[in-house]
Amino acid sequence: MVAQVARPATRPAPEETTRTRRRRPLGPALGHFASFAAPGVLIYACFVLAPILVSLGYSLTNYNPFNPPTRYVGLDNYQLLLRDDQFLTALRVTSILTVIVVIVPNVLGLAVALLLDRHGWLYNALRSVFFTPVILSSVVVSVIWSRLLDSEGPLNEALRALGVDQPPGWLSDPAVALYSVASIISWQMLGFCVVVYLAGLQGVPVELQEAAAIDGAGPVRRFRAVTWPMLAPALTVNTVVLLISAFKAYDYIKVITNGGPGSGTTATIAFNVLQTGFDANHGGYASAMAILMLLIVAVVTAIALRFLQRREVDL
Amino acid sequence: MRNKPRAFRVAAALAAVVALSACTVGDNSSTVDGKQEVTFLTFETPNLTPGYWDAAIKRVTAKNPDITVKKLVAPTADGRTAYAKQLLQSGQFPDVMIAVSPAGFAEAGNLYAWQPDELKDFLYPTANPINGKYYQLPANTQTIPPIYYNKKMFADAGVTATPKTWAELLDASAKLKAKGMTPFVIGGGKDGFASSMILSGLVSVDLYAKTPDWLTKRRSNQAKFADPDFEKALGKFADLAAKGYLDKSAVSRDYAATEQAFLDGKGAMYPMGNWFAANADTKKPGFEIGVFNVPTEDGTVVAPAYTGGGMIVSAKAKNLDAAKKFALAFQLDKEQLDASVKADGLFPAIKGYTLPSDVGPVFKAGYELYQQAQAQEAVVHAFRWETADDGLLPGMADKVDAAAQDLITGRRTPAQAAAFLDTEWSKAG
Amino acid sequence: MKHGKPSWLRPGVAITLAAVFFVPLYFVLANVFKPGDLIAKQPAKLPLPPTLANIEAVLTRPDRLFWVSLTNSIVVTLLSVLVLIVLSAMLGHYLARTRNRWTRALTLLLLCGLMIPPQVILIPITDVLRFTHLMATLQGLVLFNVGYYVPFGIFVFMGFIRAVPVELEEAARIDGASRMQVFWRVVFPLLRPATASVVIFLSVWIWNDFINPLIILGPSQGTTITTGIYRSIGQYQADFGSLFALMFLATLPVLIFYLALQRQFVKGLTGGATKG
Repeated sequence: MVAQVARPATRPAPEETTRTRRRRPLGPALGHFASFAAPGVLIYACFVLAPILVSLGYSLTNYNPFNPPTRYVGLDNYQLLLRDDQFLTALRVTSILTVIVVIVPNVLGLAVALLLDRHGWLYNALRSVFFTPVILSSVVVSVIWSRLLDSEGPLNEALRALGVDQPPGWLSDPAVALYSVASIISWQMLGFCVVVYLAGLQGVPVELQEAAAIDGAGPVRRFRAVTWPMLAPALTVNTVVLLISAFKAYDYIKVITNGGPGSGTTATIAFNVLQTGFDANHGGYASAMAILMLLIVAVVTAIALRFLQRREVDL
Repeated sequence: MRNKPRAFRVAAALAAVVALSACTVGDNSSTVDGKQEVTFLTFETPNLTPGYWDAAIKRVTAKNPDITVKKLVAPTADGRTAYAKQLLQSGQFPDVMIAVSPAGFAEAGNLYAWQPDELKDFLYPTANPINGKYYQLPANTQTIPPIYYNKKMFADAGVTATPKTWAELLDASAKLKAKGMTPFVIGGGKDGFASSMILSGLVSVDLYAKTPDWLTKRRSNQAKFADPDFEKALGKFADLAAKGYLDKSAVSRDYAATEQAFLDGKGAMYPMGNWFAANADTKKPGFEIGVFNVPTEDGTVVAPAYTGGGMIVSAKAKNLDAAKKFALAFQLDKEQLDASVKADGLFPAIKGYTLPSDVGPVFKAGYELYQQAQAQEAVVHAFRWETADDGLLPGMADKVDAAAQDLITGRRTPAQAAAFLDTEWSKAG
Repeated sequence: MKHGKPSWLRPGVAITLAAVFFVPLYFVLANVFKPGDLIAKQPAKLPLPPTLANIEAVLTRPDRLFWVSLTNSIVVTLLSVLVLIVLSAMLGHYLARTRNRWTRALTLLLLCGLMIPPQVILIPITDVLRFTHLMATLQGLVLFNVGYYVPFGIFVFMGFIRAVPVELEEAARIDGASRMQVFWRVVFPLLRPATASVVIFLSVWIWNDFINPLIILGPSQGTTITTGIYRSIGQYQADFGSLFALMFLATLPVLIFYLALQRQFVKGLTGGATKG
């Protein structure tokens, strides 16, 4: 019985303040830090924090490994970026992509999770079907879908067989391609949301549901009053993971559209960072883009977390 | 229980594993058994398979037993120059690279400059100078693009002669379209060059024929993409799209699928680099393929081509002499040249080289076209494909492809596309 | 049960939805076992009779691309996940149990790492790795993975550790066990579901990682499974049989891994999910 799984985290966390307020001698505290925390913190500092600082440094220069000397240019790169059409387009593309990728798998994932929230081998098997794309590499997913969505690929052939004369250019029409890419990412992430919501649904106490039913609440009211609030933590996890995946989208773009059709119709900021840094050699400019991107991700995620966790607390 | 905590044991075991793998992968010695090791960056395509490269390397090392070659493979064929840049930036620059553009690398002092006596066997030893020096072996010539055509479709549409003037090309396209055929096969997707082929041809035959050093002028800001001459080429290209002679929905189709579409008879004309001839001859579609030069306004012959495509050698190669020796031996080996003709349709630019007798008909037709143009001194550079300091700035080739796609899909007018290219150029500078 | 709807409705809708969802995967599966020339002509048809020619072609490539990539991927994934579990469980424990101003700040700094896109640090990471002579080595890639994914590890572990009663640990300490012993003998075994979900997610992410192995590992150490697929797209762009076979073989290990750990994993997610 999966539903009876011990769920330690739902119990109120023990109050620890009395323990931590106690003043401890410095020596053992340092020893504790050195043995438990230092290795992880050190590697994180070397391989994540230090590179960010280096990036920040580069972003204030005209760094181009093929065009020395490197000099300090202050905030020039940032000022240029805000007037750069291609960057603003990338910002728009990334926003649209993010909005779709955060909403679609969340909504559909919840629907599928509600559908699959039953026991038995059938539902277990179907859950695995929905989860399989999550474990595929994004390159694999991109290759599969670019074949399927080719203007003469299986999907359009099927549409033609159904009598559609001019099936859409899923990846070739500048007005459609971005939505196709967003759908592909949503397809891959759907299973993640399903599994997280299913896990959340198993945490909804059956007694609560039954009590609501006895009070005469219909299925819709029961969902809104009992189930949905209990799913708040699952919503938080899904939203944050989707937000981050959408912002990071690079592989999909590289393999499926290479930023096109045309100039930047599907080029995300992440894609532009690598193009500018490695194809056009403009390390300084690319770093400025990367830092701006980091700021945007941080602010958006922080706002989302704040908002979502407030819902959790309101329970 | 005073034994050591498990964490220590785990950590110790991990440290041992990491150290062990350090021994196995950290071995970067450059001489093995007295042999000089050379790292060689290749790329793979359906024609240039791993087997092709292995055989080519083996031919050279068999004759030069003191050299061992470590083959490296770029993750994508047309990303190979970008990949070489990443390798340089991350301290892994290969000793020898093939068909990687030397621009950028050379100016920053990363490449070995070939001496005149090392270039004595090449037909065009002074091709592609960068600051007056020669970094890339001028090993072969490619015509980019001639226009391949489906003879059966031309006949069916009543097009009797291959178009010589632009008006004749438009006329032929109109006839093909009237019969329900797609005049041009184009592509795009991750292989953007398949979108810009005709545009590249138009700029070469119209603009370069008049102003051969146009890009040099663009580099010194004496010319702009928004100049009437360049914009006219953009306009002619946009016109083809507006008239429905190009299939808009093909801008997401990758190179392999594009070639297949032409071989499957899905369009009548296929503007593509002459490397296509190799596949045209081996895949033998159910129709004959002909080839003609990109038509000019008045019908004079102009053939866009570029000589280069050979190897570059890192100036900091650990075994520089071995690397140079390997590169020259590779490029001058008769058997290797024959193999490159057959697999990749290259025109070797080596003194005294004669083609193998069994080359295919499409290759032969394209080669003759080039020879004629050469006899009339009507060869110009192929716009977008230059690799020296008279070429596009780094990163700009992608923008040209993007601009071509914008014109095909009607997202931008020629004037807007020109403005876009000028903006991007100023950022690339 | 208690609803008045027909009992076949739910399984019916569920199966239909899953079938539609499965179409792209079917497309690959069917074509892996189909002769190459039929893939372009009849992409949707069942592979009857099935052929193993595509799989064989990939497994017996003369350059052993698949086997080299597989070895690299296994070594990198295994080492990274092992180190990550040890380090992030201990760090998570430290942060959950030592609550003061400094650790709160440290926690925040670490959790920020969750949202850093790899592109932001990719260019300078090569500088750091060169400085430490770890560029183009498997250890370099492993260390980078550890640094990059430690935030996720502690994100999951902290939630769980807070739910483990402190009294358990204190009792063990009074019995004379060291802090290290208490953690590994008493606390860590209680974290199995969290460990399972960290193991699954990190394995999948590291296994599938594309851009980092491409740049950090470089060309001389060979490819990982994902960069290998990407590279072979060049050669196989017209040979979908081999390409799909390679993709299928590349996914098989993670798929088996997931199915084996599935039960544990769902439990792990539950704990992690509710804590946020």
